[in-house]
Amino acid sequence: MTEQQKPAPAPEEEPPPILGTWPRLYGAVLGILALLIVLFYLFGRAFR
Amino acid sequence: MRTLDWAVMGATLAAIVAYGIVRGRGSKNISGYFLADRSMRWYTVALSIMATQASAVTFTSAPGQAYADGMRFVQYYFGLPIAMVILSVTAVPIFHRLKVFTAYEYLEHRFDLKTRTLTSIIFLIQRGLGVGITIYAPSLVLSVVLGWSLTWTSVLIGGTVILYTTSGGVKSVNWTDMQQMLVIMGGMALAFVMTILLLPKDISFTDALTVAGGMGRLNVIDFSFDPNNRYTLFSGIIGGMFVALAYFGTDQSQVQRYLTGRSVTQSRLGLLFNGIAKVPMQFLILLLGVMVFVFYQFVTPPIFFNPVERERVAAGPSAGAYAALEGQYGTASEEKSMAIRAYLQERRAGTESSLAAARKTLEEKEAAAQAIRAKAVGIIRTTDPSADPSDTNYIFLTFVLSYLPAGLVGLVFACIFAASMSSSSGELSALASCTIVDIYKRHIRPAASDRHYLFVSRGAMALWGVYAIAFAQFASRLGSLIEAVNIIGSLFYGTMLGIFLLAFYLKFVRGTAVFCAAFVGEAVVLYCFLFTGISWLWYNVVGCLAAVASAALFEALLRRGRGEGGPSPRPTGS
Repeated sequence: MTEQQKPAPAPEEEPPPILGTWPRLYGAVLGILALLIVLFYLFGRAFR
Repeated sequence: MRTLDWAVMGATLAAIVAYGIVRGRGSKNISGYFLADRSMRWYTVALSIMATQASAVTFTSAPGQAYADGMRFVQYYFGLPIAMVILSVTAVPIFHRLKVFTAYEYLEHRFDLKTRTLTSIIFLIQRGLGVGITIYAPSLVLSVVLGWSLTWTSVLIGGTVILYTTSGGVKSVNWTDMQQMLVIMGGMALAFVMTILLLPKDISFTDALTVAGGMGRLNVIDFSFDPNNRYTLFSGIIGGMFVALAYFGTDQSQVQRYLTGRSVTQSRLGLLFNGIAKVPMQFLILLLGVMVFVFYQFVTPPIFFNPVERERVAAGPSAGAYAALEGQYGTASEEKSMAIRAYLQERRAGTESSLAAARKTLEEKEAAAQAIRAKAVGIIRTTDPSADPSDTNYIFLTFVLSYLPAGLVGLVFACIFAASMSSSSGELSALASCTIVDIYKRHIRPAASDRHYLFVSRGAMALWGVYAIAFAQFASRLGSLIEAVNIIGSLFYGTMLGIFLLAFYLKFVRGTAVFCAAFVGEAVVLYCFLFTGISWLWYNVVGCLAAVASAALFEALLRRGRGEGGPSPRPTGS
């Protein structure tokens, strides 16, 4: 152990404020990324 | 810049600095000074993360890049949301549980002191060089555009940053980052709207997009798989993810931002918000550059945007030839404008063959204008062989100064200064925290009072700030070395990421194997840099994989040497 404070006990897994669970929120972030990629592709294609 | 612009810029920057000083009061120890007593809410963490990443170059260079090369640069950010999720799952709970001050402190918990010290020193070297460039790059552009000396612009940026970071530490950094990010978002949104309003009356927003698309500027997604092509979907997702993992997971200037979160939840939400907001934000900044490009299809642009180089040619022996080229460029631009209008007309009502003919004419006119511009750049290089043939950094600011209304010009310049201040303040705070916590407190003076550590922390912050300003003064003399300094960052990130991935996921690997693997990872990256044409985005992947694989190998060899067969005891803190 170093000179810093001792490790705290594992923090309680507090749920996120939206979507109920963390895996759902992570999925939403990745889903938004996928959606953006599709939209960007369609955007570029529409004005090609 | 007019009086109103100076007033807007001065008032905005003064308000930010004063706010930072006021909000930063009250730190009694280094926990308050470097971690804000872990009290920040997610929105402060999120905006601070975004402000630290978005340097002034993001807002000066990115629109220029879209003007010259289109929007494909946005793909570089596609790996970032994935990295935010991975870090939220792994790094955030571990860092919070161990209550670390720096990312490298965790490596001592997990491995040993020498690994912590090595990674901290690598960070200090890499970021120490980077912080000078963070101040130098916008200082140079602003000095050229505003006609100020480089000394004044860098002292203005660096001096104000030192003022509030030294007094208030990371609290000031985070709170000013938040203000700066809000100013930047507001300023860029207004500039975007204004640019669209400045388009000719007969050119709608849809027409502008049609022109941009027809001239190859809406190349947002590139599905090709070419390791030498810097911006493709795959390099963006894979290479960009490794870059983002390394930057947000191992670089103290970012780790410190989410260590200030009041709980795991607040830190995670800060990172995830960044993952959601960053890609659209970058898209809109690039789209702003594309709109500036369309604007200049109907208004003749300068043949070269860097005003200093233009003046140098005008005062030299090739002034006549350059002026003649400017005249030809004006004529070519007018012909191109007519070809664009004809192209739009055919898009609306023409046949397929007439549209193809209009597009061909437009391409010919564009090629003719570019050929004249290439000759002008040749004259500039002949007049001054050290001149940078790229003028992308000056395109947006030239447009802002020439066409945006009074007040908004001042606000955009305040955005540029704010962006530079937010990046450099985060970097200074991170450099000071590693200097004091990882080096001074761990190796030189392990048992001193809170007051003493707070005093030397303020001193370290101020010294790093003075160093950054001094570096900015001499950076112009480094010439092409500046590019080398930028590349240095990518040379180290992969190995650093490999070390952290080993710490998080490969529990059987111990300190000595990791320490040796760091050197192998670096050797492999240096080989790629010196002897191959692989894009730097992939260095992070290569360095990371080399470090992980060699650490596993070293660990096996070390165990065989020690005569161990079974699994190692579970290390602490992992």
